[in-house]
Formats: sequence, C-alpha cells, structure tokens
Amino acid sequence: MIGKKSMIYVAVTAAMLASTSMAYAKTVCYVTAADSHAYVTPANLALQERAAELGIEILSLSQEFDVQKGTEQLNTCVARGVDGIILWPLDPQAYIPGLARAQQADIPSILINSPMDDAANQFIKSFTGPDVYEEGEMAADALSEAMGAKGTVVVIAGQAGNGTTIGRVAGFVDRLKETNAQIDVLDTVNADFDQQKALVVSRDLITRFGDKIQGVYANDDTMARGFIDAWKEANPSEPTPPIVGINGQKDAFESIRTGEMHATIVQSPIEDGKLAIDTMAEILDGKEVNIRLPIPLTVVTKENVESVEPAF
Amino acid sequence: MPRMIALVLKHRVAIILALTLTISGLIVPGYLSGTTLSLGLDRAAAIGLIATGLTVLLIAGQIDLSGGAIFALAGIVSVILQPSIGILPAAFVGVLVGGLSGAINGLLVVGLKVNSLVLTLATMLIFRAVAHWITNSQPVSGIDIMFSLAMAQIYLDIFSIRSTLFIVLIVLLHVWLTRTIPGRNVFAVGSNPTAAEESGIPAGRIIFFGFVFAGSLAGVAGVLQSLVTNTGSPVFGSELTVAVIAAVVVGGTRLEGGRGSALGTLGGVLIMAALTMAMEFQSVPAYIQQVVSGLILILLVVLDRTVHTRGRTAGAIPLLVTKNPITTGGKT
Repeated sequence: MIGKKSMIYVAVTAAMLASTSMAYAKTVCYVTAADSHAYVTPANLALQERAAELGIEILSLSQEFDVQKGTEQLNTCVARGVDGIILWPLDPQAYIPGLARAQQADIPSILINSPMDDAANQFIKSFTGPDVYEEGEMAADALSEAMGAKGTVVVIAGQAGNGTTIGRVAGFVDRLKETNAQIDVLDTVNADFDQQKALVVSRDLITRFGDKIQGVYANDDTMARGFIDAWKEANPSEPTPPIVGINGQKDAFESIRTGEMHATIVQSPIEDGKLAIDTMAEILDGKEVNIRLPIPLTVVTKENVESVEPAF
Repeated sequence: MPRMIALVLKHRVAIILALTLTISGLIVPGYLSGTTLSLGLDRAAAIGLIATGLTVLLIAGQIDLSGGAIFALAGIVSVILQPSIGILPAAFVGVLVGGLSGAINGLLVVGLKVNSLVLTLATMLIFRAVAHWITNSQPVSGIDIMFSLAMAQIYLDIFSIRSTLFIVLIVLLHVWLTRTIPGRNVFAVGSNPTAAEESGIPAGRIIFFGFVFAGSLAGVAGVLQSLVTNTGSPVFGSELTVAVIAAVVVGGTRLEGGRGSALGTLGGVLIMAALTMAMEFQSVPAYIQQVVSGLILILLVVLDRTVHTRGRTAGAIPLLVTKNPITTGGKT
C-alpha cells in the first residue's frame, strides 16, 4: 500500500518537474495569413528565426487566407494557454471576440502587418507593420518630384475597401494637396493587386487619356508592371511616363535600372516579421510598448537602386 | 471473440473518439482541460450544425453541397439588415434565407427530378455568387461588437450558445430518427425510394423537407458565425462543405443513403474537432492535418464496410447512385 502511494508521489513530482521545465520557455502563438505567399512567407521565416534567437517557442498556425479558420485558431491559442498571440488579421472585425477571450485569459495579443478597426484596440497591446498611409505620402513626393510638381496622372489602386488600398490612395491624394503640387488625378481604377487586371485597366486608361498620362501611381509593383506592359503595346517606341509603385520587388528594381519605372517604396517582410516578435518579447519581459510601431520604409530611385536590398 | 470484434466495430466511432482524446492527452501537454473542451465544442458547432442537417439528407439518399454557400449568404443577410431592423430580427431573416435556399434546392430536386449532387453543385455556385454580389466581395461589419462578445461567451466553463444549440439539436434529431414514424420513413426513402413510395411513404415530401431542414441549419450556423464575429463575409464557409461531409461520413452515415445516425454524426464532428485541435496544439502544418483527416476517413469507411459486408440487391440502389452521372458514367 505504502509502496504504491510513494510511487504516485514520485510520479506526480516528476510530472510537476517536467511541466515546470517545459513552461520555462515562453510559447507564442503566431496566427499567420498563409504558409506560401510572396510576402507572407519571408515574414514568417524572419519571425521564426528571430524567435529562435530570443529563445521563444513559436506555435505557428496558418489561416490559408481563410478568416473563419483564423478565428477558430485563436481559440486553439487560448486553449493551449500560450504566453502571447501574434495575429495577422485578414478582416477588420471578425477576430475581436477571439482577442477578447485571449485578454480574459491574460494572454497579450499584438497584430502584425495589417490593421483592424479601432474597436480592436482595447484588446491588443500593439500593432506592428507598415504605415500604408505614409507609403502613399512617400509615393506622392517621389512622383511629384519626377514631374516637377505639375501635370496629370492616373492611379491604379488595389482592391476596393481593402485597408491597404484605402491608406495608400488617401496618403497619396492628401500629400499632393498638402504640398500644393499642381498634379491632377485623371482617374483612379481598381486592379486588385493583380498584374493581369492592371494590364487590362491600363489599356483602357491609355486609350482614354493617351498623352495626358504624364505620371502613374500604382498601389503595388505588380500593378505597375501591368501598366508598363500596356504602355509598350500601345507606344513601343515612346519611353514610359514616370511610374511609382510600392513594395520594392526584385523586378521593380530591374525596371528602375532600365528607366521604365521611376521609384518604388521598399516595405520589407523581414523587418515586418522581426518587429512583431521583438515587440512580443518586450511585452513578455513586462515592458510597456507603443500601440503603433511602424516598420522602416525606403524610397528607391535610380540613385540608390544599387545600394538597397529588394524586399522580395 | 467474434462478439468482441462485433462490439468494437459497432461502437467504432465512440472508440476512435476515445482513442483520439487519450492519445492526444498523452502526447500533447495541456490538451485535456476544460478550456480545450469548451473551445473545441464551440469550433465544432459551426460544422456540427450543418452536419446535423446533412445527416437527414444523406440518410434520405440525397446530398447538399450548397451548405457552405448558404452559411455565408445567411450570415451576410443577418449583418447587413442590422442597421435597419435590429440585430435579432435580422438574425431571424438570415435563418429564413437559409430555409428558403434549402426550399429552392428541394423544389428543384423533387420537382425537376434532378440529381441532388449536380443540382446543389449548381446552387452552391449561385448562392456563393449572390453572396459576393450583394457585398461587392467585401466583408461587412455588424453594428454592435459588444453583442458579439456576449454571444461568444462561455457559460458554466463549457458551453457557448452555439455549441449548446448543436448538441441539443443533434440529440433531438437522434430521438426523432429512431423513435418516430416520420423519422423511420427517412431511412425507408433513402434505402429504396421506389419501394417507399409504393408503400405509401411520401418520398418527395420527405426529401423536400430534408432540404429545407438542411438549408435552415446551414442558415442558423451562418447567422451564429456572423453574430459571433460581427462580420458577414462572402468567403466564409468556402472550405466547410468537404469538412461537413467528412464529419458525417466518419460518423457512419452512408453516402448511398438508407443508413446513418445522428449520434454518429455527433461523434464524427467531435473526432474531427479533437484531431484538428490536437494537431494545432503541436503546430502541425495545415497540409499534414488534411492528410491525417483523410486517413481517418478512409479507416472509418473501411471499418464500416467490414461491419456491413452483405451486399445490396440490385433494385435497392438509391437515387444518388442510380441517377448520378458520376457513378453511372454519364448515363442517367
């Protein structure tokens, strides 16, 4: 009888020891947008590498761009009792109840890359990621400089209603007004961050406005590429008007070298991933962090194209 | 010994559920806890509610692929009507949209005598397209996030509103299917519609109401999802249909009709939820999770065949098989 009892004590003590030693390394739940994507994958890798350096264990869950899956994965994070949650939101509201559950369980959460509605602010410690409004402003400055602050331009925007699109367009338009540039926007069309769609809408724009297109602002580099292709079809011998894109992709760097594009703005997925886990590490150490932490952005033109690393 | 094996095979769903929980509990630290149970049940509820409706349809020899699309559509309607008529009436209309969508499926299948696999494939595309159309492909937000927080609340440390609803409904369905004459008739329609019709069972009416029931429950699931997340989205539920069919089949309900059980579906839904959670706890990549779910599905279907080795007589092959261009090689 006694032997059995002491056996149980030993087992319980061993189990407790095992569980405390396992609890020593902090675990952070990372609900990412997807496993394989040109921008998301390098951000995921950078986050995981940095976490390994910091001695933080990452529980990585991929939403595969399915919001509903993401809201369920937040449940798993809470049930697992992790020490922190990093969420890549794909919807402005849907995750709020999950974040509230996390808060109830005393698990701090932060957002990476994309913002949510203000209603989410009371449930998160910070939002780390690019300031898309500022990207729009920087694009306005770059294009304005190339055009001597006057002329007429077209804007090729991303998806209607998408937070990134709204920020990048608003920043651009507001900045032009603020600097009193005499630049008029002929039209703003949506091409959903898709090269093929950008090609189609650009053909229309070129037919409608022709020489009046003295500058182009595309919400990302893939759509800028679409415009360049449409321009080459229509005017094979003429040089392209100044084109400004965003993201800093490799092929945009190539276009800047050849003069087809004027500028792009580098938003690095690696910085994006690193900043998120660094911020979480500070929270886990009990430090206060800023509610908004932007990643560094760089304007790339012909002048510095050789010295800056492309984002992806 | 053969009796032992028979007993094990009979309760294979419960045994696999118990095995899943035991093995997960041993391997995954912190898995067996009240929080896992409550949140696991909550996440199972969306799939479970649609699966409840689908169980009846499959037993009746029909299938509904449009559940995921109805789920999205009903949720969207319940969100966009909120500003004009209030949260609860909007939710009611959302469920109504689900029932109506099911009625459309039922009318077309019964009225036009179209194979349900093909027909609900078509309505799945249509309902999904309507969802994109009325929202302009953008997610829409509700008016009161506090209401969503209340809806997501866990009561007594275990139950959320939707997981309670799911469990109550599936138990009621079990009683209805096994203890009432209309319930038994569903099985008769599924195993041999001609014989059922000849013996005075209104096969068409049963199938029609089966679709209305399935549509309504997909609507309920969608509305609850939208209330909990305060969001209606045209892409919600796009991957649900396969998960739902898998859960029902794992639970022992036959795609061929005439055989199945509501409690089996409950078991199937819980097995899938327990597995997913265990693998997410261990950060198993999404594609490996799918492989494991697929293997469990194959295992249970094989076990199912072992239990029911006797073949069917030629005339007893139900609608979904005989009138299915896939199983008949294009001849209907």
